[in-house]
Amino acid sequence: MAAAGPESGCDPACGARFFCTAGRGLESFLMREVQARLEATQVEYISGKVFFTTCSDLASMKKLKSAERLFLLIKKQLPIAVPSLSKGKILNELQKLVNDDPGSWLKAISLWKELLVHDTKREKVSQRDTNPLKRKVGENEIVVAKKLKLEEIQMVEKRHREGQWDRVPKYSLEQGDAITKTEELHKQGSQNDLVKAANTEDLEDLTFRVSCRCSGNIGKAFTTQEVGRVVGIALMRKFGWKANLRNPHLEIFIHLSDTYSVVGIPLFRVPLASRTYIQTAGLRSTIAWAMASIAEIKAGALVLDPMCGLGTILVEAAEEWPDVYYMGADVSNSQLLGACDNLKAAGLAGKIDLLQVSVTELPLPSQSVDVIISDIPFGKKFKLGKDIKSILQEMERVLRDGGAMVLLLSEDHHRHLRDCGGSSIPLTSQDSITDSEMKMPLNPDKRAGTSDMASPSHQASSSQCPSRVLPCGSLVPVECFKVSLGKTDAFICKYKKAHASGLSPAGCHEPGAQPEMAALQQSPCLQDSPRAPSALPLQMDVCREHTC
Amino acid sequence: MKLLTHNLLSSHVRGVGTRGFPLRLQATEVRINPVEFNPDFVARMIPKVEWAALVQAADTLNLAEVPKEPTEGYEHDETFLRKMHHVLLEVDVLEGTLQCPESGRLFPISRGIPNMLLNDEETET
Repeated sequence: MAAAGPESGCDPACGARFFCTAGRGLESFLMREVQARLEATQVEYISGKVFFTTCSDLASMKKLKSAERLFLLIKKQLPIAVPSLSKGKILNELQKLVNDDPGSWLKAISLWKELLVHDTKREKVSQRDTNPLKRKVGENEIVVAKKLKLEEIQMVEKRHREGQWDRVPKYSLEQGDAITKTEELHKQGSQNDLVKAANTEDLEDLTFRVSCRCSGNIGKAFTTQEVGRVVGIALMRKFGWKANLRNPHLEIFIHLSDTYSVVGIPLFRVPLASRTYIQTAGLRSTIAWAMASIAEIKAGALVLDPMCGLGTILVEAAEEWPDVYYMGADVSNSQLLGACDNLKAAGLAGKIDLLQVSVTELPLPSQSVDVIISDIPFGKKFKLGKDIKSILQEMERVLRDGGAMVLLLSEDHHRHLRDCGGSSIPLTSQDSITDSEMKMPLNPDKRAGTSDMASPSHQASSSQCPSRVLPCGSLVPVECFKVSLGKTDAFICKYKKAHASGLSPAGCHEPGAQPEMAALQQSPCLQDSPRAPSALPLQMDVCREHTC
Repeated sequence: MKLLTHNLLSSHVRGVGTRGFPLRLQATEVRINPVEFNPDFVARMIPKVEWAALVQAADTLNLAEVPKEPTEGYEHDETFLRKMHHVLLEVDVLEGTLQCPESGRLFPISRGIPNMLLNDEETET
């Protein structure tokens, strides 16, 4: 479960440039994660994508938790200007994607082969860590994949719709039902093919297909299959590769928008966000991991999700931070039985215990829990105001002083809490939670000595205003991130429990803001990775410089 | 339900206050789930345990091996840590009841999940 060190991840393709797609609002989490886990440098983002350079191998990159899919970058450049050009000129521009700089394509192909060959060797040596779980590919995703036969080339079209998750075409392997295969089998089959291709000196044996996504003006002017066809023909003419929709060696992914053009090679058939260890997902795995990543989970802690549903947050947290005791509670018996199945399937039943209980009446002593992480239910059944207040009060009671609470809030809840508590005040100091004497009703003597109570004891600034606190007392907003859940947006909000004297109100970050770096650093698994230089948001002028 | 969880649970029936601990455990079905031994983790859990309650719970399950108190320098005592690992994490109460020592209210444990839901008249507020 531990993050692979950089040395294990070094391969011949040192310093290759990659990008990941990410759900909107998770870019900052992903930027931090590639730095911590892959020692990535030159980390940049645009909405929905994070670009980085790393020497890590595929096995290390497969461990990324906040990304949707991983690509090897072929080129990233300024958008194709649409309004001033005729359709023919745009087609010409599309061909230039291939013809202007064939070297970038050939370089990417050779890097891609190296990565795959290296990965296959590694797997043969270290005998696969076979995961007996059956996976369900994209069960909760809307798969919009259309296959179209157009002249001599077949294309996969992914229709872009505003606000939806990155969709993945369903791969129809010739051997039949790919959905029910285990990932290992799935990967080995395809990977072997790829390695065969990699070993052939002659690039002309390479088969490929083009997957397109067009948004903005170019999306209005062209269909994705038109774009794919033009690029596909250009590739066939330039390099002599053969088109193959059903089972190509290589997939070329193109995303054209008003702000950039990106071309890459997807490195795994299954999205990173589809976890092998999650049987039935409730909350999206990437969001669940992102929440846990800022919760300051330390070894030996007790972590509670008082509204755990199917247990997705607990599973994501326990996979990443194993030396922790997790408790999940829910009022619904059917949800708990589902959670129970999920825990067993993930092999985590030994670390997570479940309770049927109401979040407003937790049968736990005050100050007994180190961390609370929860997805607060949305929906009409759940009344604003009174309900959210009683929930927060009870969670506050069981949370220890200095403990962290990370909640996923709907826009309504977030607004409600902000209006009552005033969490929109800018961050003034990083962490001024005063770690007071622990008052542990169960075992005061012993608890005070545990090493996980390590909040810095900075003095609170004296200019604290009581109105900045949440209505329910000592929960102080620390940071807040707006994230996309697909159709709706939500907020990942972090609070810390402090005494009334030690408050540190914080502001709400715009998407792209850096989350507190502490969590990944302090986490048992990732603390060994040294910090890479801080990431830069990608401006258009930066984009120009980095055009491949 | 593991005994580590039992060790944290207290009754929250109205009027019981802090005296709803520990809950009296009755088990009709217990399973031993092998869990990978992690000495550091167990050592970190020991200070969190209310020892008398654990001894009592282990007694009702006829687990004789719980010492009356943690041994000196237990962090490095693998025999002790393995014992505690077994008692706290591997013993899983699948069916049974938890009883509030103050009010006598019974909470059922079914398929390993304790049901601690209260009726409206039992709640604090």
